[in-house]
Amino acid sequence: MGLKKILADKETWVGLGLIFGISLVFGLVSHPGLIKRFLAGEFQHAFILKEDFPQVVFISLPEAEAAWAEQKAVFIDSRNLEEYQRGHIPGAISVPLEDLKSGREDLLLRIPDAPEIIIYCEGGDCQASLNLARWLESRGFKNLRIFSGGWAEWTQNGLPVETNVAE
Amino acid sequence: MLQNKNVLLIFRLIVGGVFIWAGVSKIADPLSFAQDVRNYQLVGPALSFLTAIFLPWVELIAGLWLVVGIYPKSSALLISSLLLFFIVLVLITMIRGLDVDCGCFGTFSRQADWRLIAEDSLWLALSLALLFSPANDFCLLRKKSSKA
Repeated sequence: MGLKKILADKETWVGLGLIFGISLVFGLVSHPGLIKRFLAGEFQHAFILKEDFPQVVFISLPEAEAAWAEQKAVFIDSRNLEEYQRGHIPGAISVPLEDLKSGREDLLLRIPDAPEIIIYCEGGDCQASLNLARWLESRGFKNLRIFSGGWAEWTQNGLPVETNVAE
Repeated sequence: MLQNKNVLLIFRLIVGGVFIWAGVSKIADPLSFAQDVRNYQLVGPALSFLTAIFLPWVELIAGLWLVVGIYPKSSALLISSLLLFFIVLVLITMIRGLDVDCGCFGTFSRQADWRLIAEDSLWLALSLALLFSPANDFCLLRKKSSKA
C-alpha cells in the first residue's frame, strides 16, 4: 500500500479530522481556567502561575538599571560561561543554567544574600533566565526578578559592561 | 512490507503505547509543556500555549486509536508525521546550539539530543511499517477491502 493510495483514501482524512476535532474539544474543555486566563492576557512573559511562583517578577530595563546603579540587587548571568566571559553586566555573577542542569548545584552557593536577585540571559527570545528563576524559587530563593531585555538590551543602550575571565 | 500480523500488532502496541504515555504525561500540566515548547524558541507564547493545550490530546487519541485499531491508517500517518517533525525539530535545535529539555514526557523529560533522535527514528520505523503494511487485523474499525 503506497503513500499515494493512503493519501487518496477519503477514510484517511476522515480519521485525521476526527483525531484533530476530538483533541481540540478535549483540549478546550480540560483546562477552561487556564484558557480563560490566557485569553485575558496572561502567560505573555512566562508560562507560570503567579500563585505558584510568587517570588518571580518581570522587570524592564529602567528598573534593572536603577537597581544596578543603587547596588541594591545582585545580578545573575544565566548564560553559559563563555558568553559571560565575553562580556556581562558589571558585578554580575555567573550561574549558567546548563551547568546547573547537569548537576552543578554548588553554583548556587555563589549567590550572596541580597534584597533582590536580578536574573538575565541573552535577551530576545532567551528562556534561560526564566528557567533559572523557577529553579531558584524551588530552592527557596526569594525576591527574584527577571530582566527580560537581557544582555542585548543592556548593551544596545550603551550601559557599562565588564569583561574578565574570572567566573 | 511486513505481513506477520502478530509482529504488526506488537508494533502497534509499542508505538501506540509510547504516544499514549506522551500524551497523558503532558495533559495534566499544560503550562510546563507550553514552557518546553517556548524553550525551543521557534514559536511565540500564544502558539506555544495552544500547542500545549492541543498536541498532548492529539498524541493520546492517535496512540489510543492505533492500539485499538480505529482508523489505523490515519493514526499511523499522523504519528509518523509527528515523529518526522520531532526529529527535524531536534536536529534544528541542536544545530542552533540550544540546550533544551525535549518536553516529550512531561516531568520525565530529558535533553533534546542525538539519543532522542535515535529513539524517535526507531518509533518512526515501526510506525512506517504499520502505515505501509496492508494487514490490519485486530482492529475495531477497518475497511472491508483491507487487502487492497
